[in-house]
Amino acid sequence: MSDTNREIHELLVDYADALRDGCIPAFLKSLTREEAERIASSWEFWDATEISRILNGVGFADKAVAPNVSLFISRVDAEIASRLKKSKASPPGKRRTRTRSAAKRENRT
Amino acid sequence: MDKRLRNALKGLSAADAERRRRAMEPFVRATFGMFIKYLYRYLGNEVECEDVLEDVYADIWEKPERLCNITSEKQLLKTVYLYYMRNRLREVYRRRNRNLYLSQNSLKDLIAPEIGALEMVSSSELQDILTQAMGKLKARERRAIELWMEGASSRAIANELKTTVGAIKMLEFRTILKLRKMLCYYNREE
Repeated sequence: MSDTNREIHELLVDYADALRDGCIPAFLKSLTREEAERIASSWEFWDATEISRILNGVGFADKAVAPNVSLFISRVDAEIASRLKKSKASPPGKRRTRTRSAAKRENRT
Repeated sequence: MDKRLRNALKGLSAADAERRRRAMEPFVRATFGMFIKYLYRYLGNEVECEDVLEDVYADIWEKPERLCNITSEKQLLKTVYLYYMRNRLREVYRRRNRNLYLSQNSLKDLIAPEIGALEMVSSSELQDILTQAMGKLKARERRAIELWMEGASSRAIANELKTTVGAIKMLEFRTILKLRKMLCYYNREE
């Protein structure tokens, strides 16, 4: 069987490309078991990822800034409203303790 | 720190959840650009950045205590990264990675790493440091990185520099490591 595993420099460049192109999941999916082990044990790879992130940030981060922040604010507000509703509907601590103590009581009897 | 940001931070310290909710709007307006650019470094995808940031802001609304004594933008970014963003970043690909080979620990280090020497330098400072460092690279190394930053694929860079894709990947890797050494040096000097 031929060795098709990528070397560490190829893995780094593929990671950097995936980061730049916004497709990290595709990179993660492409990893074989050997490549994943190679990544985990290579300090050079981890050193280089820091610079890849910086290059990505300096070169491309501006395009992430949405022109309409108001739309995003309404999303945040909706998320907060949903959490607020959840916390009002069920105070988690109390409900859990009640059911646990009820279960304990049942076990005893 | 910017006056607008300072006032926005003050609003977050309200004990009442509804008042804090109202205070989120000026806070989001004052910090959105800074936070999303920072997140983009790690994800490279604006849609995912917005999704993560939405949760980050909701977490800040829920538990704003960490942001009580912030005195500078740098400190704000560091605190938000350490106590709010990092947890959310770790979650982004965790479920998808379940059946893949990269260990969850490696994934965590890849997507939400510890803060390195350069991670907290602002974009504008980084831009300056990077420009200086790029000036010290060999012409071929510099061109490879410039083309990468223009969005070129390894094959396109190889065609431009009249070499093979394998050679370009090795060149980029070595150049990135070289840049890391240079940037750490510049950062310490600053």
